[in-house]
Amino acid sequence: MQRRKLADKTATVVLTMFAAIIVIILTALLGYVLSLGIQQVNWDFLTSKSSSFRAGGGIQDQLFNSFYILLWTMIFTIPLGLAGGIYMAEYAKDNRITAFIRICIETLASLPSIVLGMFGLLIFVNATGMGYSILAGALTLTIFNLPIMIRTCENALRAVPLELKEGGLALGYTHWRTITRVLLPSAFPSILTGIILSCGLVFGEAAALLYSAGMTTPKLDFGNLNPFASDSPLNIMRPAETLSVHIWKVNSEGIIPDLRDVADGGAAVLVTVILIFNISARVFGSWLHKKLTAK
Amino acid sequence: MQAVLERELVEQQWTKEQQEVDLCLDVTDLSIFYGPKQAVKNVSMPIKRHSITALIGPSGCGKSTFLRSINRMNDGIKGFKAEGNILYDDVNLLDANIDPVALRKEIGMVFQRPNPFPNSILKNLTLPLKEHGLKSKAKREEYAETYLKQVGLWDEVKDRLHESALSLSGGQQQRLCIARTLAIQPSVLLLDEPASALDPIATAKIEELLLKLKEKYTIVLVTHNLQQAARVADDTAFFYQGEIVEFTDTKTFFQSPKEKRSEDYISGRFG
Ligand SMILES: Nc1ncnc2c1ncn2[C@@H]1O[C@H](COP(=O)(O)OP(=O)(O)OP(=O)(O)O)[C@@H](O)[C@H]1O
Ligand SMILES: [Mg+2]
Repeated sequence: MQRRKLADKTATVVLTMFAAIIVIILTALLGYVLSLGIQQVNWDFLTSKSSSFRAGGGIQDQLFNSFYILLWTMIFTIPLGLAGGIYMAEYAKDNRITAFIRICIETLASLPSIVLGMFGLLIFVNATGMGYSILAGALTLTIFNLPIMIRTCENALRAVPLELKEGGLALGYTHWRTITRVLLPSAFPSILTGIILSCGLVFGEAAALLYSAGMTTPKLDFGNLNPFASDSPLNIMRPAETLSVHIWKVNSEGIIPDLRDVADGGAAVLVTVILIFNISARVFGSWLHKKLTAK
Repeated sequence: MQAVLERELVEQQWTKEQQEVDLCLDVTDLSIFYGPKQAVKNVSMPIKRHSITALIGPSGCGKSTFLRSINRMNDGIKGFKAEGNILYDDVNLLDANIDPVALRKEIGMVFQRPNPFPNSILKNLTLPLKEHGLKSKAKREEYAETYLKQVGLWDEVKDRLHESALSLSGGQQQRLCIARTLAIQPSVLLLDEPASALDPIATAKIEELLLKLKEKYTIVLVTHNLQQAARVADDTAFFYQGEIVEFTDTKTFFQSPKEKRSEDYISGRFG
């Protein structure tokens, strides 16, 4: 009896310690990045163009590019991920083909993103001839994000209590209507949380974009909203350097005198945006869940 | 001569009685398999219209399996196979041509755990109606009121129709689920231990409701609660290991069961 109590106490202490270590590492890291970078970040930094050799450049275009590529990635990923998740959760039979699909998804999920970047270069950039572009970048990121999205949707659907699904079927809903009317609404909070979380992941991704969206941005005219114009920010066929690619580039081959400052500032912005994504995923998800369950 | 006449008379009466019994569902030689395992063995059970038929028996004896084959809820299970007949209006419900979706509109089901949709109380009734093509919103809400009244829930919820159905108590949720099922106007109600998750007061309300509903619906009720079967059922079927040990009117079953095993079960000697 004494011994069991002791074991229990020890386990609690050890586990708490590990948890504390993780929290310390995380806060130290965030604190470091933010404290270094926050002084650089001001309105001017966020809204001015980067410069290639003079000091005092901003990150306006890169910030826009990051969000814009994220938008397109989600436009591709969400429907595909939903379709895949619905298929895996509701239609896939328990057989070898399904097992094979599952292995494919898992392999895809574990591929290093630089490999996906190379794949993007080969297929989207070169084979289709679209060149370095937002579209190529978004498609590459879609492949990067799709396995996670499929799994998120599948798990969310599977987590809906069976009795709810049977409730729909017993009321004379077809299988498809049961999915759209009963399962998806119930799974919606978890799916949404998953989507926002993966937004953070996609937003911070650099390696997959180096050779797909490219490392340059043409001169952009934010007044030009014609998506076919070459200087329009909305043009998806133009190359686009994102914020994380920019940080990497400035750091590794930049020649501006204030490259440390720009990199630090950029990193602070990047981390802040990702934090916002993660926190809002939690807040939004639990708010929705509460709203649905009235608990 | 006299004897022959008498016998004929008796026989006539007997057939007449047979004809008078208005059957809603006539189950004959039903066998159900999950893969190699046989869960229901050669069961026959005539189920009378506008009556309550209770299915009792120890856990795992096949009550749910039997019940769920009536509205084909087991169709999706891997390895599931049903043989025999479940006649409903002279159609075999097990027939491959039967559309389970249409069938379930005709034969409704209520489950052990209340399963309202995570929507408002009102929407739990109006959404299925919309699903079944009732276009007018006013009509749907009118129906909702009717059926909430029918299950005795209206007065309890009329001021909070737009609150989440999950904010209701378990017993209220279960009555909401019954109302939701009634709203799509089935003629048969299948209930799988509808009160087993409820307290005695909520249970009493459900039982009272079932007695009222049997005037319009044919009810098949699975229950672990023998008193419940004795209180509400017209006929009782005792299942044991996939077979029907005894099927007779409830009074006879509980007062003078023919089978030793029924007697043992009623007196709590096993199960
Ligand atoms: N989906 C399934 N796959 C395989 N076997 C099953 C499945 N569902 C039930 N069975 C088996 O069929 C038999 C009958 O189960 P069933 O659920 O019909 O029993 P029950 O009488 O409803 O029991 P309970 O009173 O516990 O609800 C059991 O032996 C069970 O293990
Ligand atoms: Mg059961």
